[in-house]
Amino acid sequence: MIAEIRDIAYSVNNRYVETWKNGGNKVVGFPCTFVPEEILHAAGILPFRLRGVGTKTLSIGDTYYGPVICSFPKCILQLAGQGDYSFLDGTIITNGCDSMRRLDECWRKAGEDIEGILPGFFYYFGVPHKVTDYSIRWFVDEIRELLSALEGHFETEITEQALKQSIEIYNTGRKLLRKLDGIRASDDVVINGEDAMAIIIASSSMPREDFNTLLEATLSEVKKSGAGMAGKKRLMIVGSANDDLDFIRLIEDSGAVVVADTMCFGSKSYVDLVDETTDPVDALARRYLSHSYCPRMFGYYKERLDYIRKKAAAARIDGIILQNIRFCDLHGSENGIFERDLEAEGIPCMRMEREYGPLVETGRIKMRVDAFMERIS
Amino acid sequence: MRKETKEYNYDWMLWSIIDNAAKTCDGSRKEYESLLGLIPHLRDLLHTIISQGEPGILLLKLLAGYLKKILTAHDEGKKIAMTTFCFAPPILYAFDVVPLLLEPITGLGTFILRRGTAEYLDYCCEVGFTETSCSSQRGSLGAYLAGLATRPDLIVCDSPGICDTNANSYAFASAYLGIPFYQLNHPPSLTDERSRRYHTEDFRNMIAFIEEQTGNKLDQDRLREVIEEIKIQDKLICELTDLQQLIPSPMPSIYNLFLYSGVFLFNGTKGFTRLLRSMLKKVRTNAEKGIAGTRSTGERARGFFSYIDHYTTDLRFWQWLDANDISHLGCILSSFWQEGAAYAVDREDATYRMSTDSMESMIDSLAAQMSRMPMVKSIRGPYDAPNMWLDDTLNMARLFKADFVSYFGTIGCRNTWGMVKSYARDLERHGIPTLILYSDSFDDRVQSWEAVTDKMSEFIHLRGIGKRL
Repeated sequence: MIAEIRDIAYSVNNRYVETWKNGGNKVVGFPCTFVPEEILHAAGILPFRLRGVGTKTLSIGDTYYGPVICSFPKCILQLAGQGDYSFLDGTIITNGCDSMRRLDECWRKAGEDIEGILPGFFYYFGVPHKVTDYSIRWFVDEIRELLSALEGHFETEITEQALKQSIEIYNTGRKLLRKLDGIRASDDVVINGEDAMAIIIASSSMPREDFNTLLEATLSEVKKSGAGMAGKKRLMIVGSANDDLDFIRLIEDSGAVVVADTMCFGSKSYVDLVDETTDPVDALARRYLSHSYCPRMFGYYKERLDYIRKKAAAARIDGIILQNIRFCDLHGSENGIFERDLEAEGIPCMRMEREYGPLVETGRIKMRVDAFMERIS
Repeated sequence: MRKETKEYNYDWMLWSIIDNAAKTCDGSRKEYESLLGLIPHLRDLLHTIISQGEPGILLLKLLAGYLKKILTAHDEGKKIAMTTFCFAPPILYAFDVVPLLLEPITGLGTFILRRGTAEYLDYCCEVGFTETSCSSQRGSLGAYLAGLATRPDLIVCDSPGICDTNANSYAFASAYLGIPFYQLNHPPSLTDERSRRYHTEDFRNMIAFIEEQTGNKLDQDRLREVIEEIKIQDKLICELTDLQQLIPSPMPSIYNLFLYSGVFLFNGTKGFTRLLRSMLKKVRTNAEKGIAGTRSTGERARGFFSYIDHYTTDLRFWQWLDANDISHLGCILSSFWQEGAAYAVDREDATYRMSTDSMESMIDSLAAQMSRMPMVKSIRGPYDAPNMWLDDTLNMARLFKADFVSYFGTIGCRNTWGMVKSYARDLERHGIPTLILYSDSFDDRVQSWEAVTDKMSEFIHLRGIGKRL
């Protein structure tokens, strides 16, 4: 089962998406964890987290984006421009960060030049940068507008009942992923970081009901495997979006095992549950806006530091890799203060800036990870 | 950071230099000219400003006074708020809080200091801030992080949703220095009721934060006094903008810098009104004579600098414009969207109007002004949406009859580098020659000033711009 999950995580398209599409169903992509997937699910649409995996060139990305921009959205644009996202019926762009929000314009402009790359439903979703009563009200309105737009475009109705059901299904998935966290944090780790990340990536790349079933089976399989990794140095990964399994494997090849993370292609996507007892739109707005674990939510440094501390303590880590994609100032700068504050508490940290996309920096990264491993050994 | 750089506080150094510069014209012309020979590193900068006559001298005196207020604030029992250029300062003046704006303070360093602000820029990176962050904040932030400047008491910014890199600088400063932080967050739309409500609620929440930090309630009389002054200033600014439409433009290019520096630092103060009146006097005279604001009084070309200007050593950007008889018609920093602005015709919903009818209306006025500040207004949503960057640039380029549009930014301008290529392509499609400059406006190490002028000269030559003289 892990092999099947790896297949999903190592490519953009996968057999679940193909089956879904062959059934005449719709897929809508989104680049950031601030988009409530439950809304799409309730509309009978497959929510699909956009990624840049498998990018080999940035010829299209660099044509529309300027020169000092994060390579993550550039890679997404590249794949879109190449037609790799032709299975999408829609895309929702958020202002996750400035590089990400400009995917809206760059994709639209590329769509003027390259026929057929712009999905029929193309939507800009504004997410506030703070958590207050009025920002949550704004976000509720924004979600309701998105609901209407989806209903109008896809000629469907999103009922309250469907939303509640979707919330329940997604919460089930989140609970299962939290079980995975528990397994990763155990003394005798039975799953490596690469596979754990593959599972988390699969959660936003396939129908959630199928994922929940697959994950339950995988967790049983993993528990029984007994293939422990005792004795390896236990690391946590913090920082920018990372869905690059090769990057995790490179780290683990140095004699470590990645047992925890706070990334958005990681624990950040399932740390909180949606309240199932209140109005579903209000509950979604509160959950998605309030998990302020992304530095795009300015002024919540202490909360994020506290989250890292708790996560690190639960997983009994030996060190933290604070990584950021180049030009991601939000994570990069915050990593600088994390390093200061966590080192002061005796937690070894290594800051690393890297490019997203084809892992062309293997040698440099390996050398730095090896040096860090020497330090904590 | 080198030992000698740590010898003096950055803000004290700037004050000391500018305070002395502001006094150079208190004596005779002969004394002033003799002095220039004794200050080889400051001579060009000083003379560029002083040669503007009364407005230049007034600006220097205002800047000296501003820096002095920062240095003496704590002795006088006042709080200092670190903030950003696109944060309208009147609310802080109404609280008698001293605004400390990183970008202008960086700009002063890049203008004045022989080696620019390189060591402060780099110091930020030494303590964990990314080297790809915006140089406009980093240039002075380094001094604050190093403890080489007066420590602020609170931090307020209004760039989340507009410029993440900007907002991040202030969030970083707050987390690094342990200073209370408030961010005004702007939605991606501007003129709809939903956005208006968000602006005002967020603004009121900020007032509560400032009240908490200062221990003072917002004083209605003082607030009214500040707003009455803004009303006067808005009218003067509108007249300047009107006159800029003339061919040739009677406004000296450097007045554009004076104008936005004044709004960022002194909006709502009487000193700025004096500066505006003095500038307007000169511009009116030029207009009556039908001459350009350039030194030669001729105008070869008209440029609209659609984002920011270039601020490295000695005000060379404005010297270059002057030497080439190019009129600076404004940039994103000099459009404020007050009611009555020439560029706001048929776009009244995008403007703000100052009202002193009640406490509520005054607060709402300031909230509306804040939401229309340079960059805050037009970089919040997709660049090609109504009221956003492309719309505004096309409007202003046509209004001011610009021959070309040029883009300068910093290495941190993710918000505009993200789509500037498409933006430039759209402008070209509308028939406006557009140049993207890949320099950093506050750091010559990214691209030398000589390379910048080469590119601008080549662009002007190749596109056949500038045959008016």
